[in-house]
Amino acid sequence: MAQLRYIDALKLALTEEMDRDDSVFIVGEEVGQYQGTLGLTGGFLQKYGPERVVDTPISEVGIIGMAIGSAMAGLRPVAEMMRMDFSLPAYDQIAQHAAKIRYMFGGQFKVPMVVRGPSGVGNQLSAQHSQSLETLFAHIPGLKVAVPATPADAKGLLKTAIRDDNPVMFLESLRMYMEKPERLEAIQPGLSEVPDDPEWMVPFGQAQVLREGTDVTLISYSTMSIACLRAANQLAEQNISAEVVDLRTLLPLDMETPLRSLKKTHRAVVVQEQWGLYGCAAEISAQLAERGFYDLDAPVQRVTGAFVPMPYSKPLEDLAYPNADDIVAAAKRTLFAQ
Amino acid sequence: MAKASAAAAAAPPALDVQKYRRFHEQMVHIREFEETCHRAFQRGGHGINGYVHVYSGEEAIAVGIIGALREDDYFLGHYRDHAYALARGTDPGAVMAEICGKATGTSKGKGGSMHICDAERGFYGGYGIVGGNVPIALGLGKAIRYRGGDQICVCFFGDGSMNQGAFHETLNMCQLYKLPVLWVVENNKYAMGTSIERSHANPDLTDRINSYAMKRECIDGQDVVKLHTRVSEIVKEMRETHEPFFLECDTYRYHGHGAADGPVTQKTYRTREEVEFWRQRDPILILERVLMEQKALSEEERDRIHQEARNAAEAALRFSDESPNPTPDELLKDVYA
Ligand SMILES: Cc1ncc(C[n+]2csc(CCOP(=O)(O)OP(=O)(O)O)c2C)c(N)n1
Ligand SMILES: [Mg+2]
Repeated sequence: MAQLRYIDALKLALTEEMDRDDSVFIVGEEVGQYQGTLGLTGGFLQKYGPERVVDTPISEVGIIGMAIGSAMAGLRPVAEMMRMDFSLPAYDQIAQHAAKIRYMFGGQFKVPMVVRGPSGVGNQLSAQHSQSLETLFAHIPGLKVAVPATPADAKGLLKTAIRDDNPVMFLESLRMYMEKPERLEAIQPGLSEVPDDPEWMVPFGQAQVLREGTDVTLISYSTMSIACLRAANQLAEQNISAEVVDLRTLLPLDMETPLRSLKKTHRAVVVQEQWGLYGCAAEISAQLAERGFYDLDAPVQRVTGAFVPMPYSKPLEDLAYPNADDIVAAAKRTLFAQ
Repeated sequence: MAKASAAAAAAPPALDVQKYRRFHEQMVHIREFEETCHRAFQRGGHGINGYVHVYSGEEAIAVGIIGALREDDYFLGHYRDHAYALARGTDPGAVMAEICGKATGTSKGKGGSMHICDAERGFYGGYGIVGGNVPIALGLGKAIRYRGGDQICVCFFGDGSMNQGAFHETLNMCQLYKLPVLWVVENNKYAMGTSIERSHANPDLTDRINSYAMKRECIDGQDVVKLHTRVSEIVKEMRETHEPFFLECDTYRYHGHGAADGPVTQKTYRTREEVEFWRQRDPILILERVLMEQKALSEEERDRIHQEARNAAEAALRFSDESPNPTPDELLKDVYA
């Protein structure tokens, strides 16, 4: 076990998979000579060469297209979006092409590719650079969607994504990237620990219980799972025992783990960073209601972002997405507590 | 290397001294504004965060081109956008307040550095997605043609935008429908850390426009006299023909791409010598030399103007510092008209 930052765990996964399988290559903006916009691919160009670490123009449609075609022809491309927001010009390649090729051609092709990049709210990045687009991807049959919260999952899920035979949208938490292990350990011991074994992977479609509890279940993914852990710490101070379920992947979606937790706590809060209308939290809440109705002692609560483009100004930005206090308040609503 | 600098070395005839003194002042004010902004970001504590892209080194383009426009013309640009507003006369305090996320900012603090605009003055905004502003200019051009005026629209963008598919759809349509848009690429040689040579199969950006049968030209973006003189002719012609024009401005940015592109990352793609070469071709220096040769500017005046510009930039920052944050009720306002 090593204690790693999220970004270093991602780097480790890429390194291990590139070392292991020479059909894996990286394509994206500033991934090579610049050593990665955030340093993630530092040293890669020198180590793997320009055929495997492809610097591109600012051409997202071309980047994703190159990934799709080369995947169909047997390679395992990892396309980097400098920010996941920039996948939108290429949404057509993702949703209309990558996702559909297997089905539309009767199973003759597979498209083993990963589109990855930092995602979600940053620090005042404003309307066009703060989005968490998982809802747009998780709505599309044929895609898989991974949303790791912890350094261990960043590594373990990315390795699974690269070895998967389907197009995987891999949404990384920008705010987790640089978090120091000490800070994560302070939230919960072990939170920054990453297994060393290069064959250790995290399977898709298996949620994890990040923290055990008995009074209420907090369900989320990516950065918001960490917010749930903070909220659970606050609730503990008020003698409320919260269980935190981290979904890890949204497609496939494991509902068994949250439903099992619900049987124990009878109360659920679902948290999503971006706005809630028609979002992933809505889907999860609906399934809890459909399948867990008789286990529920209170209505499922959703905690989601405001239904607005992200404002730039810090005080407004702080209001636009959920924090631990909002989650605590929602947990207490399920307990009819003040 | 400066691409267009060899062309037309002859001094322009009878200089409009008043105008170029005004341009000089504007350029110096923009420079000091940007440098103040850059320092404020690094110092922290002014409410500036996220992405801030400054225009130092490229001032002649915004000033020379926006200075050739009429009050009813339109223009828009990418995220390196402070100078477009300042060149048009938007209050520097309001621009700085926007960069700092204050309620008194041009976008009420909701947009930030990348999303300055001034509807009243025809500035249709700065946009954060590379190439995202380009198709919108097509629509502004369409509206002009639809209403039958002789306005024009100017669209500013970086060399990086020309590698977006949207750019090529747009230029084709613009020529096809003959829409009066002046396309201005600020060729500062790099898109973040990627040089033109490493990202354009044909690094001659003007030549890339051949396939759209659009009028096109490459010009020295550091010499505001030459630039403005030529752009004034182009604009005059566009008002008569209503046809588009593509203008490549040969220029350079002094600072990193944004605040996060510091000395270490810059070393991966450019040398100090190259930056120094371009600093010798500074647009403000070039204009000062011309004005001084014409005895239209003294050293004392020059120094006074620089000092005034520094004071004005500090005043803009002070205005911002003293401005209130947006109130919480602003969060949900303006999502819909
Ligand atoms: C679609 C998209 N991809 C990537 C980015 C990230 N990005 C922002 S600015 C930039 C470089 C743009 O360079 P250029 O167009 O030459 O303009 P300059 O910054 O040089 O003025 C990049 C890659 C983005 N904003 N939008
Ligand atoms: Mg550029």
